[in-house]
Amino acid sequence: MKICFYPGCSFATSAGYKESTEAVCRKLNIELNEIPDWNCCGATVMFGENKLRATTLAARHFALVQTMGFEDLVTGCNACYATLRKAARLLDRDRELFQKTQEVLHNLGLELDRIPKVRHLLEVLMEAMPDSTSDKYKTLSVGAYYGCQLTRPDQELDKGWYPEILEHFLARIGFSVKEHSARTQCCGASHAVIYKNECQGLSHRIIREIANKGAQVITTVCPLCQFNLDQAQTQNNEPRLPVTYFTQLAGLALGLAPAELGLNKLLVSADKVLTRP
Amino acid sequence: MSQNDTNPFSAIAHLESIKQCIQCGTCSGSCPLADLMDHAPRELFALLREGAFDEVLHSNTPWFCVSCYACMVRCPREIPVTDLMYAFKEVITKQGTAPKNLKMPDMYQAFSHNIKETGKVTESQVMARYGMKHPLDALKNIPLAIKMQMRGRLELKAQKVADPKSITRLFELTEIPKDKP
Ligand code: SF4
Ligand code: SF4
Ligand code: SF4
Ligand code: SF4
Repeated sequence: MKICFYPGCSFATSAGYKESTEAVCRKLNIELNEIPDWNCCGATVMFGENKLRATTLAARHFALVQTMGFEDLVTGCNACYATLRKAARLLDRDRELFQKTQEVLHNLGLELDRIPKVRHLLEVLMEAMPDSTSDKYKTLSVGAYYGCQLTRPDQELDKGWYPEILEHFLARIGFSVKEHSARTQCCGASHAVIYKNECQGLSHRIIREIANKGAQVITTVCPLCQFNLDQAQTQNNEPRLPVTYFTQLAGLALGLAPAELGLNKLLVSADKVLTRP
Repeated sequence: MSQNDTNPFSAIAHLESIKQCIQCGTCSGSCPLADLMDHAPRELFALLREGAFDEVLHSNTPWFCVSCYACMVRCPREIPVTDLMYAFKEVITKQGTAPKNLKMPDMYQAFSHNIKETGKVTESQVMARYGMKHPLDALKNIPLAIKMQMRGRLELKAQKVADPKSITRLFELTEIPKDKP
């Protein structure tokens, strides 16, 4: 399988997301074609500044995907996913905005005729990962954390408030899952960086809920979610749960070594819980 | 009272939808940062409906919206709350009425500036620019930055697109002239 991949700015520096994604894709024979010369999608900032600019920053990639000959674009960041999908939705519905965007892109030497489908890396691995045939991680209980922007607002992947796809995925690849009710509660996003004290409670509420339900490790699908939940545990004596990426767990399920999956980059170490005979 | 007579928000698509609001408070109750807002979403819509435009122009609420869309999937009247928050920010930015002591607009500006100059976002650069206005905040992040650095996770080298000028050009081509208040 070949996919056209948009990494986004936080992918490469995240705690092993890049390493684990690349290792898993190699193992599964998925060819990751990174969009050459991608730019920041603008995240939640740009739509509050200027709609046409926000749409064009995102749509620059739609034009690039077209030149690469792909129909879909895949990203592993919730914020990128939500932003690119929002741009795609607006362009689809608003003829005038579409034409203006086309014009700006044309001025930059790019042509936009069609809008690709924006997908999350989770969807790709849901299709590509084989069912588990081993009991190795059957006793490892995982709390799945979706973050808020994966299934909202359009609820295409799953229900907006209480999705279940990640649990199904984890169970299928050989992990035990713990039900909990913080799966889509927001961690404060970038606000958590500058309103640290005010937002710390949001992450703690999520971690405590997942710990209380008996999970030993959290798994996430977004660099910022992982970062917020991981760093929130560095300055207090609350339960310490390693915050992994679903790609790292997928890698373990495929028999890859923790070091290959960047698991050493977590702030709260996962060594203890992941060690298996 | 210096109330604006004309509605500065009138051009917003879906603005009419707030007339459907039944003031149930589901949005405010779902909002993770409602405590930090001067008028959580339900109240902001009431103010706007009643013509308190200045209140809305100077409200901190849209700036505390983290875009989690919880309100939007739960509103019983299907009002696009989050989209409206974005649109309010756009109007407020254009009119230059964001609260002066608020950190979020400065953070947004630092973020946007970094994209305009390089096409990408490098966290350390955004924090450096933001830190010029809020040095204490930037300092508070240093211990964490050191931890990240030790694990090879802090990007100090600027990320850049091949031709940053093309992104600067994109910004220029999409510039909207500022309204005089
Ligand atoms: S949303 Fe975040 S991760 Fe995605 S491109 Fe923008 S800054 Fe980078
Ligand atoms: S949970 Fe936080 S970081 Fe994750 S998608 Fe939501 S706002 Fe973004
Ligand atoms: S949830 Fe909808 S109807 Fe209820 S107060 Fe909020 S905007 Fe109004
Ligand atoms: S989208 Fe914004 S207003 Fe709505 S609940 Fe989330 S933070 Fe609050």
